[in-house]
Amino acid sequence: MSDRIPLLLALVPLGLAGLAWWRGGVELALAGLVQGSNTLLSVIPLLIAAFLIAGLIQTLVNQELVTRWLGAGSGWRGIALACLGGALIPGGPYVYYPIAAALLKSGAGLGVLVAFVTAKNLWSVSRLPMEFALLGPRLTVIRFAATLILPPVLGFLAEFLFGQQIERIREATP
Amino acid sequence: MTVATLSLTILAAILLLYAWRRNDGSHRRGIILGWKTLRRTLPLLLVAFAIVGYVNVLSPQTMVQAWLGPDSGWTGLLLAEGLGMLLPGGPYVVFPLIAVLYRAGAGIGPAVTLVTSWAALALISVSFELPFMGWRFTAVRWGLGLTVPLLAGGMVQLIF
Repeated sequence: MSDRIPLLLALVPLGLAGLAWWRGGVELALAGLVQGSNTLLSVIPLLIAAFLIAGLIQTLVNQELVTRWLGAGSGWRGIALACLGGALIPGGPYVYYPIAAALLKSGAGLGVLVAFVTAKNLWSVSRLPMEFALLGPRLTVIRFAATLILPPVLGFLAEFLFGQQIERIREATP
Repeated sequence: MTVATLSLTILAAILLLYAWRRNDGSHRRGIILGWKTLRRTLPLLLVAFAIVGYVNVLSPQTMVQAWLGPDSGWTGLLLAEGLGMLLPGGPYVVFPLIAVLYRAGAGIGPAVTLVTSWAALALISVSFELPFMGWRFTAVRWGLGLTVPLLAGGMVQLIF
């Protein structure tokens, strides 16, 4: 499925190119491509460094250690550790969902897991330099501040509202 | 931009040095992993930067300002939340797109909603969450998260 996403997404610039061609002829249609290539060229050093960091962190961070910290905790301590682990763990959903699933199967609570995923989504430390560079300091700082309390709050809320359902949730995992 | 590139390059160099000093091939594995990730993301990156280029030359300032501008209110926030869920790909792909919308006149509130919605609710992440975590967990986590981008963006729009 993930192979088809770039193809589907490629329809968007094609449509935009058509719109540019309709509005300003071949000249504007080419100008879009040139503009896009220039932007891409200007961030290539940034991208190389970022992907190098992502690869190195994946080999250096011991995933078993993270699993142990998160799996052992319970209550507010578990949620705090889950938030910390979620913030520090690098990589995309293909990295953190397998870890979260392992925690769920080995007996972690619902609040811990929701806090872990939400902290990864909103606090992700490895994503911050990229966000800072591409969105600018103002938007990044405001966005971070506005969502700062959410990972623990959602963790506690999930535990409070649906914590008793954890066995049924566990049974629903494939 | 240059400060970010410099700091990321230094960080990469430090990590590389640390990995190399562990003497267990970590540095080579890290470089290969990074390269594989880059290669996997490359088609998406090319498409995303083509979109960035076209959005730039088509300069839809008036459209972006009307739909997502500082005065777009709750409809702007709702639109930003929906758009955020649909944005595909990782930060390398999504942040340039959001930056171009923000520069074209999107308000700070809708911009925060957009980033938050993509980060917490993106359907592409849900397509990983469902098979690993099951539908019950996904329903609880995603359902609780639905209000988050709206609240964050609304709060920011009120303050700034």
